Amino acid sequence: MAQYKTEAAVVKRAESAEKMFGWGTFFKCQIAISIFYVMIRIYQQYFSWSKGLDFFSEDFRVYWWNMLIGELIIEAAVLTFTLGYIWKTRDRNLDKITPEEELRRFWGLGQWIVTFAWAVYWGASFFTEQDGTWHQTVIRDTDFTPSHIIEFYLSYPIYIIIGINAYMWARTRIPLFASGHSLPFMLTVGGPAMIFVNVALNEWGHTFWIMEELFVAPLHWGFVTLGWCLFGVYGVAAAMCPRIFELLKITSDGKAAQFAPTVGPYAPGVSKLSA
Amino acid sequence: MALLTQQQALSLERKFDIIIIVAAFTGTVAGYHIHQMLTVGDWDFWLDWKDRRWWVTLTPILLITFPAATQYFMWEKMRLPIGATFCVMTLHFGQWMNRVFNFYYWAWFPVNFTTPGLMIPSAIFLDVMLMMTGSYMFTALFGGMGWSLLFYPANWTWLAPFHLAVKHPSGPLMSIADLMGMEYVRSATPEYIRIVERGTLRTFGRDVTPVSSFFAGFISGIVYLWWCWMGKVIAKPVWLSRT
Repeated sequence: MAQYKTEAAVVKRAESAEKMFGWGTFFKCQIAISIFYVMIRIYQQYFSWSKGLDFFSEDFRVYWWNMLIGELIIEAAVLTFTLGYIWKTRDRNLDKITPEEELRRFWGLGQWIVTFAWAVYWGASFFTEQDGTWHQTVIRDTDFTPSHIIEFYLSYPIYIIIGINAYMWARTRIPLFASGHSLPFMLTVGGPAMIFVNVALNEWGHTFWIMEELFVAPLHWGFVTLGWCLFGVYGVAAAMCPRIFELLKITSDGKAAQFAPTVGPYAPGVSKLSA
Repeated sequence: MALLTQQQALSLERKFDIIIIVAAFTGTVAGYHIHQMLTVGDWDFWLDWKDRRWWVTLTPILLITFPAATQYFMWEKMRLPIGATFCVMTLHFGQWMNRVFNFYYWAWFPVNFTTPGLMIPSAIFLDVMLMMTGSYMFTALFGGMGWSLLFYPANWTWLAPFHLAVKHPSGPLMSIADLMGMEYVRSATPEYIRIVERGTLRTFGRDVTPVSSFFAGFISGIVYLWWCWMGKVIAKPVWLSRT
């Protein structure tokens, strides 16, 4: 009987852990973003060359300008709502949460960060280089083109919304991040966010100097410098990992798991190499 | 009762590893790719920009940045000598996704006209150098040089056929790469802004490429050390307390 009870407890514990640390949200978020951008890309395929070449045409107004206005309104609303929700539902007793709950929240933060990084990939990599595809084959007409309306005013705001929410979520729910501002986290979110602001300089410069689309032109180097901030994602990992290891130790039967490798340069007796 | 068994804790640790790897991969694609496309992008986009001087000089110098920072982080924190290769793989992922789905499927440029330069052999060399020496200084000196010197040979096998001479029906003799550049019109990238083969380096005769690579190796070593420092600073878990 005692053995039966023990087994039941282990099964219940396993189910609980699976539920708390499942992959469901992770896949849902990445797949949702991917499907959304694939649909956007299909929209571009159909309507960019056919309806998006002449800014002053009625077709442009219907297919692209309306889309621009709509996405800006939705983005502002989503940011306001989500930030308000995260703030409103904040944990006011952060000093009282259990280690299990704290670990679960770190798992949630990990998924926020992955979702943010995936969204930044679409914005800063896929749609930014795509803009080169457009500009180097089509003469720049105005600041608003089928590539810009997606790149600057859709994909950038989306990763900014996710990034700010991720930061806010960590600040209001995880004691480690509530106690101070993590500089790498701020850089990771703030740098790419400033890329959006740098768009103003970019468009001002292009229209003032009537430049050809040389991608390596110095006017674009603000984007480069701000992109460097994304390296801060490693600093976020460096900030989170020690606390996660501590929590894993505390929550796993009170014993330390095999955290440090017993082979390789970190094995006992092996000195650390340096410059 | 504790929430996790020993086994579950180990399993969860692996899950967190996966989360960090995926975030690092996609985050690095974004940061490294935007850096690459806006500093050496034009040479990388177009086949007829891949010359013997500027492409060979600028690409290694400007692309050793993120690999150096990633190497520093991965070597210091995890003793993994794969930072440069990991970084270059993220870059190639970003480049190929765009070249195929946008340059080809959107603007219909042939894929071999917009193929990105290959950096994997250079990155492996850089990683092996760090692993073998365990020294950032030696990696900067010898790894940086190898990173640069390997760049052109690594790309030569696929690039050489496009440098064969062909006579255009209108008269001039040109390379196949230049002919493709003429035929696939890029209206916002006129010929006069194409930065290739400029200067008087031709005084070295046919040795333009090795001299350019050698110079790039020298600067790459300096940039390597600068970016090791950048990796140290940006990825340091610094906390700003409340005022």
